[in-house]
Amino acid sequence: MMKTYIKNATIFYLLSRNALKITLQGRMGVIFFLLGKIIRVLFIFAFLALVFNRTRLVKGYNFEQILVFFLTFNIIDTLGQILYRQVYRFRPLVVSGGFDMVLLKPIHPFIRILLGGVDFLDVLLVIPYFFVTFFIFAKMEISSFHMFLYLLLIINSMVMVTGFHISILALGIATTEVDHTIMIYRDLSAMGRFPMNIYKEPVRGFFTYIIPVSLMMNVPAQAILGLATPWFILFSLLISLGLLCLSLLFWDYALKRYQSWGG
Amino acid sequence: MITVNNLTKIYKTHKRNGNFFKDVFFRAYNELEALSQISFEIGNNELVGFIGPNGAGKTTTLKILSGILYPTSGKVSVMDYTPFEKKPSFLKHIAFVMGQRNQLVWDLPSRDSLILQKAIYEIPEDTYKKNVNELTQLLHCADILDKPVKTLSQGQRMKMELVVGLLHRPHIIFFDEPTIGLDIFSQEAIRDFIRQYQSETKATVILTSHYLEDVKKLAKRLIIIDKGSIVYDGSLSNIIEQYSQEKLVVVTLEKVIKKKEIDQIGVRFSYTFPKIIFKIPKARLPEKIKKITQSLPFSDLTVEDEKIEDIVKTFFRKINS
Repeated sequence: MMKTYIKNATIFYLLSRNALKITLQGRMGVIFFLLGKIIRVLFIFAFLALVFNRTRLVKGYNFEQILVFFLTFNIIDTLGQILYRQVYRFRPLVVSGGFDMVLLKPIHPFIRILLGGVDFLDVLLVIPYFFVTFFIFAKMEISSFHMFLYLLLIINSMVMVTGFHISILALGIATTEVDHTIMIYRDLSAMGRFPMNIYKEPVRGFFTYIIPVSLMMNVPAQAILGLATPWFILFSLLISLGLLCLSLLFWDYALKRYQSWGG
Repeated sequence: MITVNNLTKIYKTHKRNGNFFKDVFFRAYNELEALSQISFEIGNNELVGFIGPNGAGKTTTLKILSGILYPTSGKVSVMDYTPFEKKPSFLKHIAFVMGQRNQLVWDLPSRDSLILQKAIYEIPEDTYKKNVNELTQLLHCADILDKPVKTLSQGQRMKMELVVGLLHRPHIIFFDEPTIGLDIFSQEAIRDFIRQYQSETKATVILTSHYLEDVKKLAKRLIIIDKGSIVYDGSLSNIIEQYSQEKLVVVTLEKVIKKKEIDQIGVRFSYTFPKIIFKIPKARLPEKIKKITQSLPFSDLTVEDEKIEDIVKTFFRKINS
């Protein structure tokens, strides 16, 4: 068992090293990508500052609380992009038949198609998110129990993110459609950038119980602010586990129907 | 080693009616039977040529044998494994080299792909060095190991595909069109390599190729598949014996002669000085050779087998008539 973990970790390291080498080949692209992302985040900060310059509370949340939601969303979203960037490159692999070569290797295909292309540019971005978030937590005097709960629920959110990405891969095999699905996922998950109760019903219910964006992006922030009930936390843990299991079943189903396109 | 029993594979494809609304909301499907109840066995250390026209089911068979595709029905056993289960212990013993697929990292030198392959197959350092050394020497490609793959020619890339694909010394190798798109020198190099590798490692090899010269030069046994069914399974010499109706007599002339003089031999020919190629039915060979030697001013004369492509064409004509 331990040997398998070490082998998988070595392969993950080598794939990440290759991804870094490829990224660094286009240095101008790196600069523009980073600038674009930084400008986008700064604009949202500026927008929030502008809103809270005119009003003290939005739907009962103060500026710091809204920032906790926003930063938590960014941490989860960016971690997803760091780890699962390879999913964005899955369609060409399926339509060209290159996925065949992945299936022939004596390792789990997820190591290649899910984790095989770590995005180091997003690693650079997630570091400041962590710093700012923990700076705010320090100012808010958060208890260590709430801190532990927050980290646990971030991991729980990552399980959901994983489930969504596995489903996208399975859909890619079944339909060769990945690009639009991943964009729809990005747009829907962006609904969780701010607390879900800024939306009205039935939108709020839809994004909590049907597509659990709220559970994925909001629950860690709600927990650390003391706004989530134990039952709601338990519910989110169960939903993430269920989502992961369903995505794995969908993956097995899709793999049996894989037609190996491209000759 | 490989046993296939009543293997069937059906592909489902979207049937288009030409009506956008119906195509989107009331989708119908066609079922295409790519393989229909095929059965065969391949023993240890065999090199089998697997041929057939486009869409006959060759690649589908190899993909099922290697575990890429899930069979619709039938039984497949490779080294006592069920391929689709994709057990790592099974996958470590096989290799699938496809002329039209690339497993090298396009932007990086092949050495990076080799290092990754070493980790995936858990190859010890000294074995890794030895295997890389042997394979690159066999293929004469040690000097391109550190060149980015995107800068390699097609022939060089295919050589590196072979080095990466066979690094773990597999016991079973599926070659799918390994010489496709290569010039004659690269084709020859790849053929020589496969022959030498198989004789040294005693691997079991299944080879598909549209260049039947590959199959003729490498395989002793031939499986011909057509429309998803096996139509021939036997020795290559047997099919040549059975279906080769003509011999090629190649005559090199000493001086230019008129076409009328060649016509008197009384068989089909093509003539571009100094060569005449006669196509002579086997039964009339001695008589016609005698006539050629008596009436034409030649400096050289050779008798060759009909091209394997022509023999296979004759075979297909006969089975379809």
